[in-house]
Amino acid sequence: MKKLFKLAIILVLLLTLPLYMVMAGGKKEEAKPEGEKAAEETGNLERYKLSEKPVVIDFYFVVGVAGPLAQVIDGMVEEFNNTHQKILVQPVYAGNYNQTMTKVQSAILSGIPPDVFVVEISELYTLLAIDGIIPLDKYIEKEGGDTFTGQYFDALYGNARAEGKIWGQPFQRSTPILYWNKDMFAANADRLKAAGLDPTRAPQNWDELEKASTILTDREKGIWGVILPGGWNDWIFEAFVYQNGGKLISKDAEKSHFDSPQVLEALKFWYKLTNELKVSPPLRPWNQTPIDFSSGHAAMMYYSTGGLPLVRKQSNFDFGTAFQPKKVQYGTPVGGGDFHISKGIPPENQDAAWEFIKWMTSPEMAAFWSRESGYICINKKGLDLPEMKKYLEEFPNAKVAAEQLEYSFPKIMAPNFQEIRKVFVANLDAMMQGQQSPEETQKKLHTSVQKILDEY
Amino acid sequence: MKQRHIAHYIILLLVSLIIVFPLYLMFVMAFKDSKEILGSRYLLPSLSPTFDNFIRIFQAASFGIYLVNTIIVVTGILVLQLVMIIPAAYVFARFPSRISGFLFILYVIQIMLPLEALIIPNYRIMNAFGLINTRVAMILPFVGSGYCAFLLRQAFKQIPRSLEDAAVIDGCGHFGLLRNVFIPLSKPTITVFSMISVATHWNDYLWPLIITDSNIVRTLTIGLGMFVQHESGADWGMLMAATVFITLPIILLFLILQHTFLESFLTSGIKG
Repeated sequence: MKKLFKLAIILVLLLTLPLYMVMAGGKKEEAKPEGEKAAEETGNLERYKLSEKPVVIDFYFVVGVAGPLAQVIDGMVEEFNNTHQKILVQPVYAGNYNQTMTKVQSAILSGIPPDVFVVEISELYTLLAIDGIIPLDKYIEKEGGDTFTGQYFDALYGNARAEGKIWGQPFQRSTPILYWNKDMFAANADRLKAAGLDPTRAPQNWDELEKASTILTDREKGIWGVILPGGWNDWIFEAFVYQNGGKLISKDAEKSHFDSPQVLEALKFWYKLTNELKVSPPLRPWNQTPIDFSSGHAAMMYYSTGGLPLVRKQSNFDFGTAFQPKKVQYGTPVGGGDFHISKGIPPENQDAAWEFIKWMTSPEMAAFWSRESGYICINKKGLDLPEMKKYLEEFPNAKVAAEQLEYSFPKIMAPNFQEIRKVFVANLDAMMQGQQSPEETQKKLHTSVQKILDEY
Repeated sequence: MKQRHIAHYIILLLVSLIIVFPLYLMFVMAFKDSKEILGSRYLLPSLSPTFDNFIRIFQAASFGIYLVNTIIVVTGILVLQLVMIIPAAYVFARFPSRISGFLFILYVIQIMLPLEALIIPNYRIMNAFGLINTRVAMILPFVGSGYCAFLLRQAFKQIPRSLEDAAVIDGCGHFGLLRNVFIPLSKPTITVFSMISVATHWNDYLWPLIITDSNIVRTLTIGLGMFVQHESGADWGMLMAATVFITLPIILLFLILQHTFLESFLTSGIKG
């Protein structure tokens, strides 16, 4: 008798599961044709009833910089929808770069990819590995090939090219730049002049940087001369290697160049600033860095152009932006996110996605997006627009990033970039904290990066 | 004796300071503009408080809808967890057999699985049921809580057989037993679990972000996520305003329930 009970209860337990599923299914929103549902959400149903049904495309986007950017994107998309009767774009906020990539991957691997999305530029090889995106060459060809791509700063396509094709269209792109506190430079003018520096401009080479940060460091007041921030220190360090005329890996992603003297020199310079002279804090969190700068606890910082609107908003003093100081040349990697179009979707959706991308990167939109976000105005024609000219006149600090693009390089790109980045950051961290010497760091980096590259 | 009292109070005071201080800063910063936050009086309340941050976050994201969704999802999870797990824990505690033992081990293993590892399989299951972009999809994966099964099984095991026998003699069936003996006597455990469950799922971020697309089904944490930035550093005023809005309901809930919560512990001494 008791056994029967036992069995019955276990059965009930197992049976409730599917029952529950059914219950859950019932709660689901009534199924409607996708276009209609979407139109209803945006309150545009009326319009679409009159005209033909639009192509509905999902757009996953990233918010990487401060400010109500989700709102800005929603606004841009709404304008696109209002001016394009046959296409309805549904913007979907997908978190930061990593979360967006997870969301995109989950959707692609489940066979329901978003039509168009923005992810970090280093993810290109991963997207190719899961066969998730289509090349954009045929669209670019139709738009006029080189005349089309010629509108954009060339360095920006560097990370969108692979296997002889173009897979992405630049959108929210940034580079590191040097921010400097003009008031603090002016306050220490005498000492800077005594050392042969010009207090009215930012340091232009590594020597000047070293001297200026030594002078401006004030331990009693807790002021750092410069901040080499942690978190994305791999990105900033890459810039130093370019400035020194070196590179990290070969173009075909087969050979590590971490063993080169240029890399060692850059490592030694970082070690000097953080550990010998102690003019830069060893590992300041990325998010904390602009706060230190804006609250007057650092005279200079290396930071993304994406931080510009925020620093402008929260600083109580006059600040400037400048090219990152050079060694043998100016140099910087680019960063940020590109548009991609998914593979497993109907061709009309792909065409609609391209229409959308083209519109979002048009001169007007690129300039608008740059003003709102602090990202580079990727479209050269956008810089010539009157409202952009006016903006740059009022706020010349925003000009530096675009000008520095002349000296920019594609960001390091390799099939297993995330793995490389992991060892890269770990070793830089260890060195900045003084746990290993530059020589040791270089050796470790070279062997592990080469091993990762060989594995592929 | 008296000195020991004072020492106790000092320790309590210090501990509450540690807990209250971040909350204090959150409120203070939420009412300041960006320049004031980084000014020299950053620890003190603003002399010219502003509601700008709140206005701006409400413009930037539909927090009202998010709040309603969060409440639906959190209560949905809790109710279904209790409905599913209380009978299950009863079986695990009172009818040990190979099958129930095996099932229990499955539950315990599940405690150790991080959600991140299950995102893609869960996503595909939700897709197969056509549940993507629904509130149900945010509820389902958390219903079979291994943690809850474990806690309740232990609680049920401690209930003396004699009470159970008495109830059976009085004519209670399985569900009668649950209702009249097991649930009342495990109230402290159930209360504690409910609070943990609500707080945990109030803060769920990654899964809701990935499984939902449209604002009408999304939850509060996703709204908050829009103000935490990786590339540029955060706008602290807005971030704190959003945090105030998101944490306030749950802080209030806990303050209101505090009494019930303590009471359930005090009365639990009478049992058996």
